[in-house]
Amino acid sequence: MRVRRELLRWSLLAVAAAVLVVFLVAQRQSVEVSYGRSPSSASLPAEGSAGELSDASVPSVEEMTARVAAEPVVRLPGAVARWDEGRVRAAAGPGGTRILVAPPGLDEAERRRVKDVENAEIRIVGTEVSGGVLAATPDDLPGWRAQFATADVTDQVLTLLAALRKQPSPPDRDDLRWREPTTAELAPVTAALRATGRWVAPGATLPRLPEKAVSEAFPGGAWFVVLPTQPYGTPLPGYGPALHRLAPDRPVVVMYGGWIEYHGPGASEFAEVAGASFYAQYGSRLSRYSYPQLNVLAAYLARVTDVRYAGLFDRPLPYRPFDPLRVALPALPWLFAGCVAGFVALSIRTVRGAGRRRPGEVGPGGTPARLAGLSALAVELSLLTDARSDPALVRGIGRLRSARYALDDGLPDKHVRRLLADAEAELDGVARDVRMPGYRPDVYLRGRLS
Amino acid sequence: MTLSVLPWLGGAVVAVAAGFLAALLPRRRARADGRKVAWSAARAAIHDATVSRDAAATPVPEAERLLARAELLAAAPGGGADAAREAAAHARRADELWRAGA
Repeated sequence: MRVRRELLRWSLLAVAAAVLVVFLVAQRQSVEVSYGRSPSSASLPAEGSAGELSDASVPSVEEMTARVAAEPVVRLPGAVARWDEGRVRAAAGPGGTRILVAPPGLDEAERRRVKDVENAEIRIVGTEVSGGVLAATPDDLPGWRAQFATADVTDQVLTLLAALRKQPSPPDRDDLRWREPTTAELAPVTAALRATGRWVAPGATLPRLPEKAVSEAFPGGAWFVVLPTQPYGTPLPGYGPALHRLAPDRPVVVMYGGWIEYHGPGASEFAEVAGASFYAQYGSRLSRYSYPQLNVLAAYLARVTDVRYAGLFDRPLPYRPFDPLRVALPALPWLFAGCVAGFVALSIRTVRGAGRRRPGEVGPGGTPARLAGLSALAVELSLLTDARSDPALVRGIGRLRSARYALDDGLPDKHVRRLLADAEAELDGVARDVRMPGYRPDVYLRGRLS
Repeated sequence: MTLSVLPWLGGAVVAVAAGFLAALLPRRRARADGRKVAWSAARAAIHDATVSRDAAATPVPEAERLLARAELLAAAPGGGADAAREAAAHARRADELWRAGA
């Protein structure tokens, strides 16, 4: 019983310690918060590491300044930006404007050179439009579509001109036109899609698909149509809707240059969110640099994965393994408190149990009865002793007195018994001296206590 | 963070304190008991020795000296179990000397 209680006490303490350790280990949390632990990791990393710098360069500041002074619009080799010249001329007014157009993918020193061309009212690097201390960027999907699908910067240039001249901004105008792809155009596309799941048009820069990002974003697979940046001013072939009509259950991703569209199941639910968040975050970098289409696509697919895992939409998540720690964590403090309380209670019981002295046995064989019997025997013997046996009697009585004090003080029974045994030996000697066998303690006590 | 850690800290402190007290209190009690027992035995031995001295026919200086030391030890307040055992040993030795001399 006692051993079992001790065992329980120490096992409670062990459990409490184990729970404490588990709690401390569980404190090692990460700052990442994700509804379903999205596996996506792709992003557009720091400058120069994702192939965004092109071979294009720009002349010296003096040369560019001289060229800008000579003609109102200077297009450096490799420049891609286009705009509606009639609208820009109308907005610029009679004085006209001076525009310097540089290619995308310049490094920081080259961009600084472009920035230092003071006489250019508007500077365009890639499709990034700036002037003075201002810069204009699109802020909705049609704006990004015009910018990345056809390198159209008309709206940005008009907005910047209005801002520089302290006029109200003109409303954005979506000039992009679509056309139905012809049967002859569609046939090789569908054939390639059915065979390999992707079709890369001539001029597009997609050597391979980012397989991991694809399988995370579209576990069931998807079709990828990749086209280069489309020429400005001509209607775009609308592959997305055409392919969606052809295979309604298949996700279709169409890429025009840096512009990515999704058509397929659930498009109304998440295509806008994914596209808007992707271009809002990366739009300025995509406009300034010339990223390979592979990297743009991988980053977009990572965003699609994030959106899926964000739990905003009722999409099935992959199996999430049962984590006992996550389930048990709320109960741990209570478990710990219970174990500590149990340990404390059992400790108190142990201390009090050890402190409570077991009273000497009561009854004829008990210590008090023996003390009483021996005291009576000493009184009787005291009538018979002479000078020779007196000391032994006094010593015996002294022992009996010590035993009584010890009994009153609650000293251990063993000690009291030892004192009584000493007294008994002395009295035994006295009884033998006075030749009274009936007063031998064992005989006397047997007769008295039985 | 701080609030959620406090119960754990408090619980750990309480558990350690309980364990410490549960080990310390019985030990102290046992020591006190041991001291009392030793003094009880020592006083009994001194009493025996005084009785033997009073009964002795011839004085034994060595025994006197031993008993005096034992009584001195017993008279000093707050003596430990070791002092009690030493006093008991002296008293017992003196008792033996007187009984042998008697």
